[in-house]
Amino acid sequence: MSHVHDPKAAPNRKINLPKTAPVPSPGAHAADVKATQAAEEAKWQKTLADYEIARANAISEGKEPPKPPVRHAVKADAHDMRWPVPVEAQDPDLHRLRELLGGAVEECFEQAGELVCQVKKEAILDALTICNQDVALRYEMLADMTATHYPGGWGFNFSIVYHLTCIRRRKRLRLRILILEGFEPESATQVYPGANWLEREIYDMLGVRFANHPDMTRILCSEEWEGHPLRKDYPAVGLGQRDIDCREDRSGVLTRKTMEAAGHLGINLKPLKAE
Amino acid sequence: MFKSQEMEINMGPQHPSTHGVLRLKLRLDGETVKYCYPVIGYLHRGIEKICENKAFFQGQVWTDRLDYCSAISNNLGWAEAVEKLFGITVPRRAQYLRTMLNELNRLNSHLVWLATHAMDIGALTVFLYCFRDREKILDIFEAFCGSRLTTTAMRIGGLLEDVPEGFDKMVKDALHAVRTGLVEYETLLSENRIWLKRTVGVAKLNADDCMAYGITGPMLRAAGIAYDIRKAHPYAAYGEMQFDVPTRPEADTYARYLVRLEEMRQSVRIIEQCLEGLPEGPVMAKIPKVLKSEVGEVYHPTEAPKGEIGFYLVSEKGGANPYRFHVRAPGFFNAQAIPLMVQDSLVADVIATIGTLDIVLGEIDR
Repeated sequence: MSHVHDPKAAPNRKINLPKTAPVPSPGAHAADVKATQAAEEAKWQKTLADYEIARANAISEGKEPPKPPVRHAVKADAHDMRWPVPVEAQDPDLHRLRELLGGAVEECFEQAGELVCQVKKEAILDALTICNQDVALRYEMLADMTATHYPGGWGFNFSIVYHLTCIRRRKRLRLRILILEGFEPESATQVYPGANWLEREIYDMLGVRFANHPDMTRILCSEEWEGHPLRKDYPAVGLGQRDIDCREDRSGVLTRKTMEAAGHLGINLKPLKAE
Repeated sequence: MFKSQEMEINMGPQHPSTHGVLRLKLRLDGETVKYCYPVIGYLHRGIEKICENKAFFQGQVWTDRLDYCSAISNNLGWAEAVEKLFGITVPRRAQYLRTMLNELNRLNSHLVWLATHAMDIGALTVFLYCFRDREKILDIFEAFCGSRLTTTAMRIGGLLEDVPEGFDKMVKDALHAVRTGLVEYETLLSENRIWLKRTVGVAKLNADDCMAYGITGPMLRAAGIAYDIRKAHPYAAYGEMQFDVPTRPEADTYARYLVRLEEMRQSVRIIEQCLEGLPEGPVMAKIPKVLKSEVGEVYHPTEAPKGEIGFYLVSEKGGANPYRFHVRAPGFFNAQAIPLMVQDSLVADVIATIGTLDIVLGEIDR
């Protein structure tokens, strides 16, 4: 059975696609800080201009002029909260990776004590192999691997992150690639066999397929499931597969009741074609 | 003439010894397992999607439902991940109380594991002993946060409120019960001939395979690698605690049993240190009522009773809820290694394997 999703008919299934693509990096952070400062400065200039006008009006009308505005310094210590700022790579592991991978490294930085290395999407298998095999690195374990959907991303739709663990030196590293819709990254199972189920989960939940994977099937949802639930264009209440009774009558046509229920939920069930 | 052929059978999803809804497709040659294919997802509730649509404060309630035998570890992992994302400093008293609750929870989880594992193998007495002692720990949780299983014990920035009156005595009573209980379990099992026959040399998984498959926690320590996140990347108040990381070289079911029992002793040690050195002060940091995030990305690993539980969070500018939320569940990795462990073993040993992995489907399927 297939259906077409119609958000107009069912407002609770409406999706607001995110417009931003939050991929943290030192450059993005610097631009963000600059933009915030510029906005604050513009606001202050406007306050000053307003004051000047108010003052001129008051003088011309012979009233007492208003008090000049005071610029408050930003209160920093109101909370026990300090947003961790991404900083340039200091760690020897990141330098070593840059040395070995050369031009394949796009970005290296540290944030909240975590090492992050973004590599080119074609070079991910090389990067993983080096992290696993190189004597100075030796990240033995793939701790976690997941992906994020960015429908509003500029030049990419998904970020895939690999969290590696070095048990001997007690270190952790995050490798990251950015890919477009339809690109199939090389499977990590050749280096870390434990990536098998993780990649299946990414395929199931986000629809990213991996090349040279031994068993690229769904894992958490059933094989007939439509759509990939963790994509941002998938409504949080689901597409409604579970809400309607899809029993067919003897001739193989969906019952009228089913069609009505589907109509209320905004799902257009295509009438089955006779074969 | 009799014909011999391989037979394919389904074990589960409605099998009591699979501890939930795990399904194993087995191909058998007589009693020997020739091929095993785990099928998961029968308990998938979409917790990651739900949390992406809830505020940071609300997400914690869902972490209770991941591994429902050790809700407090999940609460702690979630709270610390959000705190790392926002750069929140938690008061010291809250850190100590969190550590204490987390260790009580470890005792609770290990007691459930021992009870069900022994029951699967046929030692029903141990089940009753373990649940008798676990009751005392659950009473502590109830006194602290009002519920026994789905606790939601932590808050982002600390704890909701301080411990109730008489908490010390309750904890001491529970510790006494566990201490004496441990001796009883060992008397019942450690030299029991049936227990030895069913566990020694069963479900072996060596250290290299453990690392290749991302297996952590007691499973890795029973393979001879002393890796504990409480020591390697200290969180909460673990940096100030004195405790040992027990290891065994054998990498079989019996070694995991010994490692977990020793871990329980160390947990008792940690809780006693927490009670002794509990500092005074507030239990909640000063944080705004509504958390608005900047662009950030964080992965926070903590040591749950079953292994490394990691929370991965991505936040956007001005967002009140996580943009992306992912749980690295230890059980997911453990379940992946079942085919390796049961290859060419007997069907009865598959039950022992599932028991030794300490499987909870709530965190595997999410």
